[in-house]
Amino acid sequence: MPLRPARAGRVGVIGAPVAKTAVVAKAVTPGPAPVAKTAVVAAAVTPGRRRRI
Amino acid sequence: MTERSLDELGPVDYLVVEFPAGASNFTGEMAAELLALVDAGTIRVIDILILTKDEGGAVEAMELSDVGELGELQALEAELAELLAAEDVDHLAAAMEPGSTAGVLIWENLWAAPFAAAARRSGGQLIATGRIPIQAIIASIEADEAPATEGD
Repeated sequence: MPLRPARAGRVGVIGAPVAKTAVVAKAVTPGPAPVAKTAVVAAAVTPGRRRRI
Repeated sequence: MTERSLDELGPVDYLVVEFPAGASNFTGEMAAELLALVDAGTIRVIDILILTKDEGGAVEAMELSDVGELGELQALEAELAELLAAEDVDHLAAAMEPGSTAGVLIWENLWAAPFAAAARRSGGQLIATGRIPIQAIIASIEADEAPATEGD
């Protein structure tokens, strides 16, 4: 089905072809189990962790 | 859409969710979660499109209203601002695999608008923004922990 006429001729807002984002489920498949990865991420964003500079 | 000044506009984001051929399982859960975010005032949905890409790479775009029975999304559909242009379709579909269907969602982060407006009134200018991939966080924390475990 065609798009509504108002969309034709309008200047786009996306600008350039969109690149595919890495799929997290696939990205964490190698190495430790995904559950362990999830725990690691949760720990990383938990308040109280301090950076070392 | 309620008239609001640009100064009160929150950041606008988009996402494209792909459903590979034969992998979709629409139970209404996505619509319910989206409506919950709208009802909570967390986001305002600006636009939605449904894209399909055939095996030959040809892309077709549909309005949400073309999908059929919308249920609770009906009220949301009536408020769409239709921001996306026809020329955006090919750009958004570039990430899609042949044979897949995708939903495109454009939304305003209402939760961020008051803070952003306050920052502007304070003389601040947004000079950078972005999203940190989960993979990067994993890599960071693992690198952080590596020296501690190597000696064990």
